[in-house]
Amino acid sequence: MRIRKLLIIIVALLAAYGILVAVAELPPYGMADNPVHNHVSERYINKALDETGVTNMVTAIVLDYRAYDTMFETIVLFTAALAVVITLKVSKRKEKG
Amino acid sequence: MKTLLGKLVINYPYLFAVVLFIIGTIIVLTRDNLFKKLIGINIMESAIFIVFIAAGNIRGGAVPILDGGRADTVYINPLPSALMLTGIVVSVSVTAFALALIIRLYKSYGTTSARRIAEMRNEVLKHDSSHQS
Repeated sequence: MRIRKLLIIIVALLAAYGILVAVAELPPYGMADNPVHNHVSERYINKALDETGVTNMVTAIVLDYRAYDTMFETIVLFTAALAVVITLKVSKRKEKG
Repeated sequence: MKTLLGKLVINYPYLFAVVLFIIGTIIVLTRDNLFKKLIGINIMESAIFIVFIAAGNIRGGAVPILDGGRADTVYINPLPSALMLTGIVVSVSVTAFALALIIRLYKSYGTTSARRIAEMRNEVLKHDSSHQS
């Protein structure tokens, strides 16, 4: 058991080194000319008020530009709730029978 | 010349996210209690959220809410924040379903220890195979 824990920590540290090497190659944090800030976010920032009438851009994206995404997100939540109810209900029925 | 460490100091939010992710991985792999494994999964999810939110940030940028102020305001990228809202919903769904499954396992086996559940299952399987032969 002790050897297993040691092995896990060694593997985790190796994985951490791999991820850190990748992270070091990312563009510097917090700069305005990073490739993340491309024409898509520019469009959201400049036209959100004209196209949706919402001052909060995150709300404009979630509820207007990507409304279908939000709709299916609620379906994900609904399915999870349904699965929880079914999982807990079956056990009750078995205990009775 | 910038060393690996110098680059990591510049990208310090990603560094914190990597540390969180590794902590979560170690918890998932070493802890025996299923609830603690689930907490480890949640810590890993938080690390992913931090990576995305940090990628959308700009130093000195304003929050992406228009207030009719100056026209030269630099707003941070609102897209990663909006995407992470979806991610949080998925995370909550996974956590809820996993908790329901753990409760179900506890009712069947009387324990939340992954090792003891595996032992019990092995015993049952051995028992069945010896009956058949």
